[in-house]
Amino acid sequence: MSDLTIHWPDEDLAELEAARGRLEAARGCLLERSDEELLEPLCRVLDLWRDPASRWRRELLDQHPAHTGFTRPVVSRGLELGLGQWGGRELRELWEREIASQIGGETDMLSPFGLTSVLLAGSIPMPTLLQCLLPLILRSPVLVRSTSRDPVTAPLVARSLAEVDPELGRCIETVSFPSDDRPCLGRFLSAECVVASGSDETLAEVSSHVGAGQRFVGYGHRLSIAVIGPLATRGEALARVAAALALDIALWDQLGCLSPVSVFVVEDEPGAPVARLGDALAAALSDCEQELPRGEVDLATAAAIRRECAEAEMRAASGRRVAVHGGPRARFSVICEDDGVWRPAPLHRFVRIHPVASEGELLAALRPVARWLAAVAQAGFGDSGEGSRPLPQLARSLARLGASRVCKPGALQSPPLGWRHDGLPVLLPLARFSDLEAG
Amino acid sequence: MRARGRASIEAELLDWMRERPWREDDARFDRLALELFAFQYDHCEPYRGLCRSRGRTPDRVASWREIPAVPSGAFKEIPLRCFPADRTRAVFRTSGTSGQRRGELHLDTLDLYEASLLPPLQQLLFPDLAHAPRPPTIRVLAASPEEAPDSSLSHMFGVLLDRIGSARSGYDVVGQELRVGGLMAAIQEARHNGESVALCGTAFAFVHLLEILEASGEALCCPEGSRIMETGGFKGRSRVMPRGELYEALSTRTGVPESRIVNQYGMTELGSQFYDSILVDPTGPRRKLGPPWTRVRLIEPESGRDVSATAAGSVVIHDLANTGSVAAIETADLGRRVPSSGGQPDGFEILGREPGAEARGCSIAMDAMLGTGR
Repeated sequence: MSDLTIHWPDEDLAELEAARGRLEAARGCLLERSDEELLEPLCRVLDLWRDPASRWRRELLDQHPAHTGFTRPVVSRGLELGLGQWGGRELRELWEREIASQIGGETDMLSPFGLTSVLLAGSIPMPTLLQCLLPLILRSPVLVRSTSRDPVTAPLVARSLAEVDPELGRCIETVSFPSDDRPCLGRFLSAECVVASGSDETLAEVSSHVGAGQRFVGYGHRLSIAVIGPLATRGEALARVAAALALDIALWDQLGCLSPVSVFVVEDEPGAPVARLGDALAAALSDCEQELPRGEVDLATAAAIRRECAEAEMRAASGRRVAVHGGPRARFSVICEDDGVWRPAPLHRFVRIHPVASEGELLAALRPVARWLAAVAQAGFGDSGEGSRPLPQLARSLARLGASRVCKPGALQSPPLGWRHDGLPVLLPLARFSDLEAG
Repeated sequence: MRARGRASIEAELLDWMRERPWREDDARFDRLALELFAFQYDHCEPYRGLCRSRGRTPDRVASWREIPAVPSGAFKEIPLRCFPADRTRAVFRTSGTSGQRRGELHLDTLDLYEASLLPPLQQLLFPDLAHAPRPPTIRVLAASPEEAPDSSLSHMFGVLLDRIGSARSGYDVVGQELRVGGLMAAIQEARHNGESVALCGTAFAFVHLLEILEASGEALCCPEGSRIMETGGFKGRSRVMPRGELYEALSTRTGVPESRIVNQYGMTELGSQFYDSILVDPTGPRRKLGPPWTRVRLIEPESGRDVSATAAGSVVIHDLANTGSVAAIETADLGRRVPSSGGQPDGFEILGREPGAEARGCSIAMDAMLGTGR
């Protein structure tokens, strides 16, 4: 008897095609509405998401932890901080600043993309929320591929929009298909505008599918750090800064690009400031574990944490001024290093504190990672004694190095809506303009 | 425990390495491991510091399982040796690109090192050698020891060629170039002389070989009884091929059946190596086996305790051949115990990273960024 092989139709591809068809049919409303008719419902959606009592926030809080591995308190606090500054007013300001100021006359106009495909990555909800909504402001329908890590946020965003404005809600579709489904991926990436997030390898792979005539906007993986000056490594400021840094580290279990992986201490005496901050940060992270417990980690991550702690322990045993706080059992690790050398960081609340003697030494230590630098939390240099005011000169140096955001500790996880992620404007990269010259 | 002299420990180990057949001897292993631990505690200062910080000093350790293991990454930053630096005879370094830190194994003698690497090769890669009419032709897809004097892998291949290989054995990577023409000629000659062939090299070198053969449409046509030994992974390489695919393609292009392709698991930091069981237990599950002077623990990363049954854990290796450095090494690998049946020894397997695992966030793990993913 011969084998009988039955080839089922590719359901994912069929669903993708259907979604594209629905978006094509719905697109008309995006082209016909006035700016205000578009902005107003989108602002309302953002206001809903900012409200902790809203149905959508509650649903996300109920569903997100089970899929992503973050604990409920972490998701709750992360949303509270992350969405705290993201409302309708801020969206309107962003529109005015980046788009309205560019157009409005008779000689230029937005020329919307027929479709924007958004390839999501990771499981932190805020980028998903924004990436789902922004193309709509620019009058482009959105096709969103969720990640298996977070299959809940994008569909909830779409549903929240549909509730506020059913017609506009039909301009966003969420799909899912395996990453190795080449036909689906190819069709998905054939949109006029492609937005993708992910690792360097993912972005390289995606961009290889995007033709020269398409718009490609890629957001790669990034890292953030903290820089602490002498005024924040002693006295009351020390505990305050340590608590703020612990919050930045604990939220999203240090997996966001705004999570600091390393803290650099500009020391005014060798060794002692790093040791003091190490003690204080370990205590603060231990406290955080009570309020914001870390999610479970997989075996490979647990092994990496164990390995890095053991290697630090070994450096300490060889006579170097290295200290290990916490460790694999403690659910956080603080490694006080004696140099500025970058070493592997397994994340999940694993942070290294490095000493540097001067701003010049700091910038030299950061140079190897400059291309991945997102944000820097900075404290302890100001003349106010508060240790929270960025020193303009150092902030400018950090910006020149590549940091797209300099803020105070405790604020890393609450970027403003208009933060120029990767140094890019928020809306402009997704927009297409036309100049209308007199004939 | 009073530390026994290293020479005396090594003499007993050399006797053990010469024994045939191998004997699993837990009591002997435990005694030697504790004696070696006491010696290394006394003579390797950084290791002593680690043991003290963990409260595991020789007078408090009663079994080899309690001996503190050094993370393999420590060899990148700290010279771990039990002899004065000026007595160093050889330094083997882990692979890595320029700018990366490389682990270093310092040796003051190669006697035990070489004595420890041969028996596993003979027992697990060439178990049929005693009955073969002629020595095998060994072709190595790696640089020679002269070209790569700090490569432990090249050194091992050098010993293998000297002690086991026929006159037609040699290296097919010269000046970083894989010379397929010479390899094909050597295989043809081996076939003519009735010799089997052993192709040895890194997994990546075999991928490169396959690419060349595929491009030219040629095949190697190894004689019956041939075998392949591949080792290492794809660390730092842009192309990664799942092991199953690699073996299938190798089998197609070389004529060596998949059942005669052996993976070696070894590390620069270790004197002894582990090999797939496939040639000594063809019907049992494929698993890693090692010589009796080694032991493998699989531990829970968070507690450090042994995992239960066949659960996955971090691989910790105790290799008594490491007399001049540290015998207990915690590797960067994850593994799982593989039980056997029919009186065959149990073994272990190394687990790769979960395929297609997605990052939970948008931050970047520093090992990926630094290109030191292990």
